[in-house]
Amino acid sequence: MAAPADEKESAESLLAETQKKISDAFDIFDHESNKTVDVREVGTIIRSLNCCPSEGELHDLLAEMEEEEPTGYIRFDRFLQTMTEVLMARKFKPSPEDQLQKAFEVLDTDKKGYLTVEELTKCMTEEAEPFTQEELEEMLSAAVDPDKGVILYKDYASLMAVDETA
Amino acid sequence: MGCGGSSQPRYEMSKSEKSLKAALLIQRWYRRYQARLEARRRCTWNIFQSIEYSGEQDQLKLYNFFNDMLTSVEDSPKASFLSENGISEEEENPQIIRDDKLDKLDVSKILVEPTYQGVQLTFPLTAQQLQDMVASLKEDQPIHARYCIQILLEARKLLREKPNVNQATTALAKQITVCGDLHGKLDDLFIIFYKNGLPSKENPYVFNGDFVDRGPHSVEVAMLLFAFFLVYPNEVYLNRGNHEDHIMNLRYGFIREVQMKYGKPNCKQQAQWLIPLFKDVFSLLPLATVIDGKILVAHGGISDKTDLTLLTNLDRRKYKSVLKPPLKDGADEITGDEDDLTDKVNFSEWRQILDVLWSDPKMVDGCQPNLFRGGGSYFGPDISSKVLKKHSLDLLIRSHECKSEGYEYTHNGLVLTVFSASNYYEMGSNRGAYVKLGSDLKPRCIQYMASKSHQKLSMAQRLSIVEESALRDLKEKMATNKTTLKQGFQQFDPNNTGFITLTQWAHVMEEVLELTIPWRTLRNKLIRINDQGMVEYESCMEVELTIGGHEGGPSVTEVLYRNKNSLETIFRAMDKDHSGTITMDEFEEACSLLSKHVGSDISKESVRDMARCIDINKDGYIDFNEFLEAFRLVDTQVNSAELDSNKSKADLKMDSNGTNDMETGTVI
Repeated sequence: MAAPADEKESAESLLAETQKKISDAFDIFDHESNKTVDVREVGTIIRSLNCCPSEGELHDLLAEMEEEEPTGYIRFDRFLQTMTEVLMARKFKPSPEDQLQKAFEVLDTDKKGYLTVEELTKCMTEEAEPFTQEELEEMLSAAVDPDKGVILYKDYASLMAVDETA
Repeated sequence: MGCGGSSQPRYEMSKSEKSLKAALLIQRWYRRYQARLEARRRCTWNIFQSIEYSGEQDQLKLYNFFNDMLTSVEDSPKASFLSENGISEEEENPQIIRDDKLDKLDVSKILVEPTYQGVQLTFPLTAQQLQDMVASLKEDQPIHARYCIQILLEARKLLREKPNVNQATTALAKQITVCGDLHGKLDDLFIIFYKNGLPSKENPYVFNGDFVDRGPHSVEVAMLLFAFFLVYPNEVYLNRGNHEDHIMNLRYGFIREVQMKYGKPNCKQQAQWLIPLFKDVFSLLPLATVIDGKILVAHGGISDKTDLTLLTNLDRRKYKSVLKPPLKDGADEITGDEDDLTDKVNFSEWRQILDVLWSDPKMVDGCQPNLFRGGGSYFGPDISSKVLKKHSLDLLIRSHECKSEGYEYTHNGLVLTVFSASNYYEMGSNRGAYVKLGSDLKPRCIQYMASKSHQKLSMAQRLSIVEESALRDLKEKMATNKTTLKQGFQQFDPNNTGFITLTQWAHVMEEVLELTIPWRTLRNKLIRINDQGMVEYESCMEVELTIGGHEGGPSVTEVLYRNKNSLETIFRAMDKDHSGTITMDEFEEACSLLSKHVGSDISKESVRDMARCIDINKDGYIDFNEFLEAFRLVDTQVNSAELDSNKSKADLKMDSNGTNDMETGTVI
C-alpha cells in the first residue's frame, strides 16, 4: 500500500499534467495569445482533448463556460475549470476501438463486408446527430476505397485508430 | 426503467435502435478524430506563422540593418577604391545602370533570336496579344527580355500619370474583382482568370500588391499584370505591396529569379537592365484604390494617422524603397536611432506610406506603431471604425497576411483580408481567394486551391504533407541554433546526465528559438523521451550543418546559415552591376557586416578558409549564388533506415532555397 503522501503527490502531478494538456490544447486555438478563443471552436478543442460528448452535452459544457453575457469568446480560466472537472472525472471517454468496428458491422445489414456510399451517407446524415454536408464529404474523401468505390470499413476503422496515435 | 427482466429490453432492441446507436458512435468517434486532426493542422499553421513572423522580427531589426548595410555598401572597398583614384563609379563600370539612363534605353538593339519560342509582342499591345501571352505562359514559355523591357518602359510612362490613390468604379461594368498577394504564383493567377475571366473593360480588377517574391514565377506574374494594365489602364488597378520594393526583392527571391532567368553568361546585360527597371516601375505603383468612394483597398491597412488626402498629395516616386525614406535636404546619413530618423526624414509623410503598405489588424483597440518590423502599425477595431468613418468609407479590403481560408473578416466586418496565393507555406497549407463586388458593393469571396494532381486528398493526407514540411523548417531552425540550445539544455543538467524534463526542454526551445508554439505537443516528432518521461536532449540536435561539405567551426557555420537571408541581401546590395559576383574583399566585408549586425563573431580567417575550401573564388570574383547553394543540412542520425530519407529531405530543403525547385518556397 502506498503511503498517503505518495498518493497525494501522484494525484497532484496528475492534476498538473491534465491542466498542462488543457492549456496546450487551448493555446493552439488562441490566435491572439490573449487567453480567449472563439466560441465556435471550443467544440473542436474539447474533442481534441479526446472527449466524445454528444452535441447536446457539448452545448451544456459551452453554457457552463460562457460569460453571463455571451461575448462570442471563451476565456481560458472558465475553460480550464470546466475541462479539469471533465477530464479528472474521465467523462465523455471515447468507446474502445473494437466498438467502432462493431458499429460499422451493424450498419452493414447484409454482412457484405463493406458499405456503399449511399448506405453510409443515408445513415450519417439522417440518423442520430446528423453530419453537415462538409463533414460528410470529408469523411467520404477518406473512407471510400478509390478502386472499388465503396467503404471497406475494416480498413477505415483501423485507419482512424492508427492516425490517433500519430 | 425496468425492474423485472432487466436484460430483456437490450436483446430486444429493435434494428432501427441498433443502427441509431451505431451511427451515433461512429459520428462521435469521427468528430473527435476530425477535431484532433484540426488541432494538428492548427499546430502546424502556428509553426509556419511563427517562423514567418520571427523572420519578420528579423526584419524588425531590418530598418537598422538595411540602413547600416546600405551605408556601408556605399563606401564598400570597391567604391572607396574608386573614389580614391578619382574615378567615378559609372565611368569605371558601365554595367551599372542609373535611373536617368533608363530613358535612353534603345530596345531595338536587343535582338529576338530566331530560336525564341515564346510570345511575340508588338506595341501598343492588343487584347489578342494578351490572350497569346496567357496561352504561351501556360505552355511554360519564357517571355523574351526585349518584351519585358518594353512592357516595363510602357508601364513606366503610364504609371507616372496615375494618382497615389486610384478611384475605381463599378458604374460601367457593374462589378469589380479584388485579388490579394500572388507572390509569383502563376498557377493561382491562371485559376483566377479561368474562374473569373480575363481583365477587360467589362471585367475590371484591383490587384492589391505583392505580385512578386517567394514564388517561382514572379517575373511572369508581374509581366502579365503590367501587360493587362497597358491595354486596360482604366480597368486594371495595381496597388503597391510591401514586396514591390527593391530592398525586399534583394532578400526574398525576386532579384535572384530575374538573375537566373535573364542573367545567363551570354546575355548578362538583360538582367542588368531589367533589375533597375523593375525597381523604378515598382516605385511608381499607386498606393491604394478606392472603389465607388466606399471601399478602400490597400495592401497592408491603415493606422490612426492614415489620411487619404495626405496620402494623395505626397510624391510617391521619392520612395524608391519604402524601407529607406528619402533624406530631408541637407541631412546627412542616418546613424541608426529613432530620434535621428525623425530629424532627418519627413517622418509623418513616410508613415503615411509605411502604414498603408505594412500594417496588420489586431483584435485589441488602439494603434501601436511597429516601426521596427520594417514599418507599419497594428491597428485595432476602434481605429478601423474611426478612419473609415472619417473618410465616409464602409469597408477596408487588405491583403498582406496569409489566411488559411484565403480570406478573413475582422473588426466586426469592417476589415476583409484577401490573400490569393494558395499553398503558400506548402502544398495544401491554405486556400487562395479573391473578392467579387457587384454594384451593391457586397463582397463575395471565392476560394480555390491550385493543385497539380487531380486526386482529392483527404485532410489527413494533406496534413501529413504540410506537417512534414513544417517540421523540416523547425529542424533547420534547431540546427542553426545548436550551440545556444545545447548551452540552454546543459543549464538544467548540471550533472551531465543527458536528460532534462519536458517542461525544461520546452522552455529552452521557446527561449532560444524565440518561437511560441506548442512545443510539448510536438515532443513525439522532435525528441526521444525515456520511460521516466525525461527528454534525451541530444536527440533534438542530430542535424548537422555544412557549407559545401566544409565545417567552418560550428558557431561560424551556424551564424552564417541562420542569417543566410541577410547575407544574401548584403551580397545582392553590394553587387551593384547585378552580375551575380562580388570580390573577395566585398565577400569579407559582407560577413563582417553581418557579424556586426547579429553580434556574433565571425573571424576573417574562417571566412577566407570557407571561400577557399568550396572553391567559389574564380578569377578573384565570388559567385555568391553558388556560395548560398552550398549550405546544407545533414542528418547525423545513423541508427535507422531513416537516414537516407532524411538526407534527401535535407537536400530538398536546400534546393528550395536554391534555384531549381522553388515550388516549395522558403518560409524563413
